[in-house]
Amino acid sequence: MFLFRLRSSRVFSLAVTMVVYAVLILNKAGGLIYQRDFNPGLQKLSSNDYLILAGTFHGVHAITSQISPTNETSSSGLEVLESENFVMRCFQTLTGTKFLIFAEPRQQNLDVVVRRVYELYADYVMKNPFYQIEMPIRSEGFDRHLTSYIKPHQ
Amino acid sequence: MSSTSRARLGEEVWKLRTDKINAELVTLTYGSVVAQLCKDLDGDYAEVNKQLDKMGYNIGLRLIEDFLAKSNMQQKCANFRDTADVISKVGFKMFLNITPTIVNWSSDNKQFSLLFDENPLADFVELPDDGKAQSDLWYSNMLCGVIRGALEMVQMSVDAHFVSDVLRGNDTTEMRINLIRYIEDEMPQDDE
Amino acid sequence: MAGSSTSYYFVIIGTKDNPLYEAEFGSFKQGGDGIPKFREEQRHMNQFIAHSSLDCIEDQQWASKEMYLKTVDKFNNTWVSCFLTGGNIKFLLVHDTRSDEPIRQFFADVYDLYCKTLMNPFYEVNMAIRSQTFDQKIKAAAKKYL
Repeated sequence: MFLFRLRSSRVFSLAVTMVVYAVLILNKAGGLIYQRDFNPGLQKLSSNDYLILAGTFHGVHAITSQISPTNETSSSGLEVLESENFVMRCFQTLTGTKFLIFAEPRQQNLDVVVRRVYELYADYVMKNPFYQIEMPIRSEGFDRHLTSYIKPHQ
Repeated sequence: MSSTSRARLGEEVWKLRTDKINAELVTLTYGSVVAQLCKDLDGDYAEVNKQLDKMGYNIGLRLIEDFLAKSNMQQKCANFRDTADVISKVGFKMFLNITPTIVNWSSDNKQFSLLFDENPLADFVELPDDGKAQSDLWYSNMLCGVIRGALEMVQMSVDAHFVSDVLRGNDTTEMRINLIRYIEDEMPQDDE
Repeated sequence: MAGSSTSYYFVIIGTKDNPLYEAEFGSFKQGGDGIPKFREEQRHMNQFIAHSSLDCIEDQQWASKEMYLKTVDKFNNTWVSCFLTGGNIKFLLVHDTRSDEPIRQFFADVYDLYCKTLMNPFYEVNMAIRSQTFDQKIKAAAKKYL
């Protein structure tokens, strides 16, 4: 378990933990456009495996958005997946892009994390005029800011 | 989400979550883009309009993510009237600090007009006197492209064009937006 | 030369000594009717007087830190006042009575209008100013101060 103390000007006696294992971003068609591991804790996969994982998840998400165990007429699709080793949160934007955050099982405030990742994506990826939409993300600025957000002291 | 809460959201995002830039810089930058296009395309104002629309389209494709991220909108709009309201009260407010009025709804609720009582892109501009600009050039045409691109990313295919412009001597600046169709992908979100 | 009412000849000169805009006004003060009363020869002379004062302006422009150079030249009974912008554009006023403060205020207004003209993306420096709005506003400023 890793503990990070967030430096701030306010007096905080508690340590704030944020252990995110990995971030994946899928485009509208289900293709993987970004994958990054931040902390150890997940099994390392080959890049091909990640692509398959992304595609599979995209299909599963599609199915789950059409069926629902309750009588709701509209379903948002799979949002949270919990297991004993990790918790995964999926956020689908209104434009069809999916953000998958893998974190340690008792991680809280994952929706805040997801929102911040979306903001960083909107800033450093989308605002770069040379970035081709739906293509893999190769942005140094995005990487840098994402890393300093998720792992503030490394 | 009610109309007043949208207005409040727009105001709040503009005040707190947007970096500001000097207005003259925006006006002069946009102005030099249009002026250079007019020069490069030799006064073919129809082509200038098309290029401005294309540039706006590219901006719109990217702007929509910034819009959604900053305004925290999670639910889709229930109908096109809601979309119009969001565009006017949150979208334009966030990016240009203006709130154009929504008028002239068609009977099938698929077309509406935005009335601009102020247009920061066109401050201090006077169209050239060569006889063609006044009748052919839509100076703020980039805005039409922005709306078209942004709405396409949220599954709406629309057509946006100006019908009048104070720079041309008309009384009002009016943009007409017309919903062509909702773009359904292979997995429709609702169970129709 | 006109009788009791004064007349003014105003010209904006670009960086290449080319005129960009010119106008004539008569004074509205003291019952004046605003119509310039220049005799025909005087009108041609005005242009020459303005042109020849450009040399004096060049001499004086580096001596002062102000944009308003006040009266730069005198020819017989006519005075030439000048306002020099940072971009080397000269606003010249040819007049036959001395008056400092109203002319300064007039030039301040003209400068404001000129800056707005520059903001128009279709206007380039040293282009003639043909805008009707500009013309109307200059005449309104003249009416207000001169």
